[in-house]
Amino acid sequence: MFNNIEMMQTAQAMARHASDRQSLIARNVANADTPGYRARDLPSFADSINSSAPAVGLRATRAGHIGTPDTAVELAGAIDNGAEPSPNGNTVSVETEMVKAAELRQQHDMAMAIYAKARDILRTSLGRGQ
Amino acid sequence: MNSILQTLGLSASGMSAQAERLRHVSENMANSDTPGYRRKTVSFDADMRGEVPGAVEVGKVRLDTSALTEIYDPGHPLADDSGSYDGSNVDLLIEIADAREAQRSYEANLKIFDQARQMSQGLIDLLRR
Repeated sequence: MFNNIEMMQTAQAMARHASDRQSLIARNVANADTPGYRARDLPSFADSINSSAPAVGLRATRAGHIGTPDTAVELAGAIDNGAEPSPNGNTVSVETEMVKAAELRQQHDMAMAIYAKARDILRTSLGRGQ
Repeated sequence: MNSILQTLGLSASGMSAQAERLRHVSENMANSDTPGYRRKTVSFDADMRGEVPGAVEVGKVRLDTSALTEIYDPGHPLADDSGSYDGSNVDLLIEIADAREAQRSYEANLKIFDQARQMSQGLIDLLRR
């Protein structure tokens, strides 16, 4: 029932996007010294939720469509960041990854704050107080 | 939650890979005065088919094939007729730079690990209130 409240649904999608993106950033940082590794990233949440932009993973337009497994969704939307490779073919920049990590931390905190607030409003409407 | 667990796994793989690299660097530095010692190098590889896709894998240990330094010391027991012997091919400057790079990468992985941990803690705090 609470899943149908759009605000909570959006907050949930936002938190999921943040943690998926963090998983990719962790992969990039872990492979910062791997020869030939190309850094990848997900499009921003605003781009991925906008229906005109390419969605992350496969879009299901009918109830009968089969969804893709979690890891496939994460990989399908990943884009190469197109950075200039270092002599060993690696395109990871640890500084850029740290900036992105700070950004998504903020996004995740915001999503959780929105979710908590929506839950508090629900609770208030039930007359329970906070 | 699945991707947060994956994040923790990826950062941990990065940290253990860097730790292993640092171990080889310390081995090289310790043996910088060992006659005939060739420096060891490791290479990293991204393991895309493992349990956690994209985790770092430490490749085979290889020996640096560059020429050994020739040290002139006629009194040394290993010295040949010309009075010199083969030292190691370890360059301390390179090893220190390598160690510092491993340390920085380790710290970056640790930071991501800590952030993932804090994020999952935030999720759990949602339930607590």
